[in-house]
Amino acid sequence: MNWLATVRTRGVPLVALACLAILLLAGVFVSVTHERALKVELAREAGAQADLLASAVSGALAFDDAQAAQDYVDAVQVNPNVLAAAVYDENDRLVAGYARAGETIPPVAAKRPATTHFEDGRLYVVRPVTESGQALGTVRLRLMDTPASQRFSRYAGMMLVLALAALLIAVLALTQSALRRANRTLSLRANELANANARLQAEMVERGKAEEALRQSQKMEAIGRLTGGVAHDFNNLLMVVSSAVDLMPRSDDPVRRQALLDGMRQAVERGSGLTRQLLAFSREAPLRAEVVDVGDQIEGMRILLERSLREDIAVEIDVRRPLRPIEVDVGELELAILNLAVNARDAMPDGGRLLIGVRPEGESVCIEMSDTGAGIPEDVIGRVFDPFFTTKEVGKGTGLGLSQVYGFARSSGGAVSVASTPHGATFTLCLPGTDKAAPTDARTPAPPPRSGGAAHILLVEDDDAVAGGVGHMLADLGYRHERVETGQAALDLVREGRTFDLVLSDMVMPGEINGLALAIQLRGLAPALPVVLTTGFSEAAATADRAGFRLLSKPYGMAELAEVVGAALIPDGDHGKVREPGAGWDDPQA
Amino acid sequence: MSGRQTIAVLAAVLALAAQASPVRAQSLAYQIKANYLVRFAAFVDWPPAAFAAPDAPLTLCVAGQDPFGRSLDQAAAAQTAHGRRIVIRRLGRAAVTGCHIVYLGRDAASLPDADRPVLTVGDAAVAGRRATIHFVIVDNRVRFEVNRTAAARAGLGVSSRLLNLAVDVQERR
Repeated sequence: MNWLATVRTRGVPLVALACLAILLLAGVFVSVTHERALKVELAREAGAQADLLASAVSGALAFDDAQAAQDYVDAVQVNPNVLAAAVYDENDRLVAGYARAGETIPPVAAKRPATTHFEDGRLYVVRPVTESGQALGTVRLRLMDTPASQRFSRYAGMMLVLALAALLIAVLALTQSALRRANRTLSLRANELANANARLQAEMVERGKAEEALRQSQKMEAIGRLTGGVAHDFNNLLMVVSSAVDLMPRSDDPVRRQALLDGMRQAVERGSGLTRQLLAFSREAPLRAEVVDVGDQIEGMRILLERSLREDIAVEIDVRRPLRPIEVDVGELELAILNLAVNARDAMPDGGRLLIGVRPEGESVCIEMSDTGAGIPEDVIGRVFDPFFTTKEVGKGTGLGLSQVYGFARSSGGAVSVASTPHGATFTLCLPGTDKAAPTDARTPAPPPRSGGAAHILLVEDDDAVAGGVGHMLADLGYRHERVETGQAALDLVREGRTFDLVLSDMVMPGEINGLALAIQLRGLAPALPVVLTTGFSEAAATADRAGFRLLSKPYGMAELAEVVGAALIPDGDHGKVREPGAGWDDPQA
Repeated sequence: MSGRQTIAVLAAVLALAAQASPVRAQSLAYQIKANYLVRFAAFVDWPPAAFAAPDAPLTLCVAGQDPFGRSLDQAAAAQTAHGRRIVIRRLGRAAVTGCHIVYLGRDAASLPDADRPVLTVGDAAVAGRRATIHFVIVDNRVRFEVNRTAAARAGLGVSSRLLNLAVDVQERR
């Protein structure tokens, strides 16, 4: 059944083929039956006609009346199907007969019994003529079998219906197979699409990673370029502290000692502010849009900018209000400002002024950074935002700084432009304003340092020097405390049933249980026991922040310690997510 | 060769034969009449009582002179009627008894009773019109007349096919 297999593979369903076959068989059966019945009927009619002629012509045959015989024969002509009719006597000689055009009647016929038979599309009928048993001769009729055209027209209707049915089945089958093929193609396409989508997703993830890496490297590059300035600044601060430390023992004048102490404190504050910003700036953080006030942001960067640029460069910040808040990634914004600042610094090798202006412009907020350098040559100005374009020597810059500014402006829906004169260049970064409100500054006035009274604090700190310093501060604030060196030891104490009013723990410690793990376990062990975590590491701080613990970032002073510990001790049960001043890594003002 | 074959060519040659040889023509005419005599048996119905037994033969008698000779015997031998054999009896001058058909030849003694189921046949030219069926010559062909009244009186049924071929059908006497 090869043909069947072929048809099947083309998608014609077996049912359709079966229907077609049944229809054909039924059609053929009906036709054959009908045809047979018609032949029988025709033969019967012809036989009856011959019998009639035979009985009518008997007298004429018996008494040789050829004329009468001819009259009877002629009467048969009325039937148009009769091609020829003849009457033969008992010796088979022709007595009377007629033939239509093209037909012949033999004058002497072969002897035949009574027959009715079809031959070559003709019906031959022979009937004997007898009268009361006397054989008188034969009558013979030759009839036209139903002509093919007539037969065809008889079955034309049925054939038409059959053809229509076949056509219908064929169309249905073809439609079905086409549908099946289309479905197959569709599912194939869907698969391809799903694959392509998966590839795209993977590529997007890869690209996201690459972009993260790029941003991080841009930040690192910026910091690297700042290092010289920062180191210089730190040297100055250390110089202040070192000279004060040297001078203190030599002086007994309380006023002078106080001045030295104040100078040291200022230097330490400046240094800690600087490192905090550097840490905040260098941490890896996902791109996250926040609603911020640009003025506040830039004011917050003042120390970083002043310290990171060279001493011979004066930084002036001019913020004109009111300003609409903008929605940007703060890290990117800071990086852009820093990149522009570094660019300005490098444009002023002999010193000068960096003017940072923030002003509203329509719905947007524009940051203008002007330097007093030599300006940008005209042949270069069109390319300053191109990636890897740099006029600096090899090793002094990657050329990614200004392209970061450009990318940040574009991704934030803003624009950056540059104008240059021989007396300096001005970069203008405009960012669209938003209708969302900037989060209100949650800073509350620091509560005055309180005496701890009965508060008993468990201090977990592996560094003896730090532990000593913090211990003194806690004692000064009036708190009692007990120090352990590891998280495990702290956990053991609490498990033993010792009660504390607060746990102050370093985050990064040797041993299996670090500060975060300790805090999490304590949360399960003693939910009412407040925990304050401290760290100098930005990553650890971010982790603690995400986990919802109070943070005190190192280095911290008495005031900050008093504030955070005091707030944590307020028995409002709110030891959860409270962002303390100086602990929020997203708040560079601290 | 049967008498029928002779008859078949008779019509065409009768006129010529009559002119060429009256005696021969006369003999041909009697051959035809002999055939017709036998044929009449098939076209006439006798009452069942006319036969002694169901398979009893049908008796064809020739009264008076016999003009047929062997041709009548040949014709009778080749045919049957109503499933019965046909036997020929030549009566001569004897009385007509036990006959179903009687040909009245010249000098026939008498006719059977008119109400007997006997078909009488005669030559109009020889015996006048006394019989039920008379042979006549029309256009040089042997034809016949039928007296239906006589047939009905004798209790004989004459087929309409025979009546259709008769040149004249008399209702009289």
